[in-house]
Amino acid sequence: MAGGRRILIAGIGSHWGTELALRLEREPGVESVVGIDSSPPLVDLDRTEFLDADIRSPVMARLVPSTGADTLVHAGILWYPEEGKPARALHDINVIGTLQLLAACERSPSIERVVVRGSAAIYGCEPAGPSFFTEEMARSFPLRTRFQRDIGELEGYFENFARRHPHLTCCMLRYQPEIGPGLKLPLSRYLALPAVPTQLGFDPRLQLIHADDATGALLKATLDPVRGAVNVAPSGSISLSRALRTIGRTQVAIPHPLFAPALARLGSSLGAGPLYGDAIRLLRFGRGVDNTRMRDELGYEPRFDATGAIRDFGRASKGLRLAPAPGLGSILDRLAGTPR
Amino acid sequence: MSGGMPPPTVVPVMAARFLRGVRGAVDGGMDPLAAVELASGDLPKSLRDSIERMARRLRGDYHEDEWGFDEEFAEAAYPFFELLYDVWWRVEATGVENVPSHGRGMLVSNHAGALFPFDASMITGAIMKRHPLPRWPRFMVLDWAFELPFISSFMRKVGGVPASPYNATRILDHDGLMMVFPEGVKGTGKPFAERYRLQRFGRGGFVEIALRTGSPIIPIAVVGSEEIYPNIADAGPIARAIGAPFVPITPTFPWLGPLGLIPLPSKWRIEFCDPIDVSGLGPEAADDRRIVFELSEQVREVIQGKLYENLVKRGSAFV
Repeated sequence: MAGGRRILIAGIGSHWGTELALRLEREPGVESVVGIDSSPPLVDLDRTEFLDADIRSPVMARLVPSTGADTLVHAGILWYPEEGKPARALHDINVIGTLQLLAACERSPSIERVVVRGSAAIYGCEPAGPSFFTEEMARSFPLRTRFQRDIGELEGYFENFARRHPHLTCCMLRYQPEIGPGLKLPLSRYLALPAVPTQLGFDPRLQLIHADDATGALLKATLDPVRGAVNVAPSGSISLSRALRTIGRTQVAIPHPLFAPALARLGSSLGAGPLYGDAIRLLRFGRGVDNTRMRDELGYEPRFDATGAIRDFGRASKGLRLAPAPGLGSILDRLAGTPR
Repeated sequence: MSGGMPPPTVVPVMAARFLRGVRGAVDGGMDPLAAVELASGDLPKSLRDSIERMARRLRGDYHEDEWGFDEEFAEAAYPFFELLYDVWWRVEATGVENVPSHGRGMLVSNHAGALFPFDASMITGAIMKRHPLPRWPRFMVLDWAFELPFISSFMRKVGGVPASPYNATRILDHDGLMMVFPEGVKGTGKPFAERYRLQRFGRGGFVEIALRTGSPIIPIAVVGSEEIYPNIADAGPIARAIGAPFVPITPTFPWLGPLGLIPLPSKWRIEFCDPIDVSGLGPEAADDRRIVFELSEQVREVIQGKLYENLVKRGSAFV
């Protein structure tokens, strides 16, 4: 189709980059989809052209204009290390990568919209904070972890960029952590442990966005972005304890100073992977954000609320339920006096 | 309760049948929780109900609102506070009908009780017991409490929210009842000699919120809360060491260890005063310092006046 939208996805090798490309391929108004990353998309895509390049490299300044894209979506920001992307490379990928992309946009006359898939970590996990952060409340608390500081830095660059280029629609999406059946993210794997360690005496309020809604909001923002920051989160909130009960997991409370080391131990033996600084605080103090702007201005109505997202996750991972304690049957026998 | 209870001789038989039922269902591949529920069919109704309720909670099948308030939990904790209300502190509440039965409302009270301020729970008790259309109010809790294990999750489940103006605004915008203590730590941490003397009402932030949201202000005077933990000294260095706003020393705390945490049985009076309607002033008035200060002072004077009145009515503090 001629005259349709031409969309460039940076970080197409990530789960969200690939998901977005899959959805965009089915959109009638989209003429072309191009993806850039140092790793290929996770599945074979029909209509999407893949450019093998690292977003941190200055090559971006030539590549991005050559695609003739009208919309750049940056889906390559990483919350935690992945295969081939170690922890010490995160700052480079997140901050320098974003900078290179923005610099490339300045040289691409065809670009009209820039959408960045960022994080609600910029608000922090604050016991004393507002229970629902709205978009203006970013940085009302010190940025405590390295990931938070990276997000703060790249948001700063992005705001500057938006100010210098008022003719561009620049949209920063602030995502709450995602959850979904089959997602291989650290938080999903943590919740899928048969016995889930929690921090003794803390029961944080969580808002985990369902994977479908995470992609849905990204698609909506790609096709029809709004200016400024938008929180991407489900409505409502759910406490960790109720979430664990809902999905049938046993809670193992550990005094909070021992939580991170215990989890690292348990994680490596059960394959849950370590949790990073932000998640440790999230699982102590929780975080809620206000999603009014997403629903009213961006016009995306999430399918799942905070409880629904957990329920759906639970339905899909039922198989991992903890088996009844082996001795239970015989204890009941003895108590009830059933002849065997 | 007593009507459904079987005679004592039947109990072992019933228990055995119940356990056998559980055993059968577990063997049949059910998870233990569902098995217990299924087998409870033969038990007396009261027992069956509590088993069902427990199973439902263990499955996470209960309601929490977006603030983490858990009504069932609050109801379960209520009898303890009711006992304190009726027996320990013999609370007399007046004017509770001044609390609006629907729509937004800001409850403003004096704040006292050095070790653990019980005033929010007793005001809640007065509303739940005496109001014709009771509903759970939300109350602002000192930020520090949300950094502490157990206390943070307990507070949230019974309706506490971190003391942030955004939280108060959101609750009022959603037509809730918001309880605030403008004195804050200055109220709870003041020495016993200054009891019932209202401290400074901050910068009148609560009035700004009431004006912006058009919520009526209901001043509340609480008498009795000052005597529960007479604060005779402040252990400043300890407070600084653990990051607490203050650490009170009372005649019993810390001398008697955990026993020192038992509040003294003072006699309480709670008076809900006439609502002050601020909706006529409009939300712009929130930016007018003069109006804000005047209203704040007016609320303060009402509460101070009612405190003295109720002190006289109460007479002796303990008997």
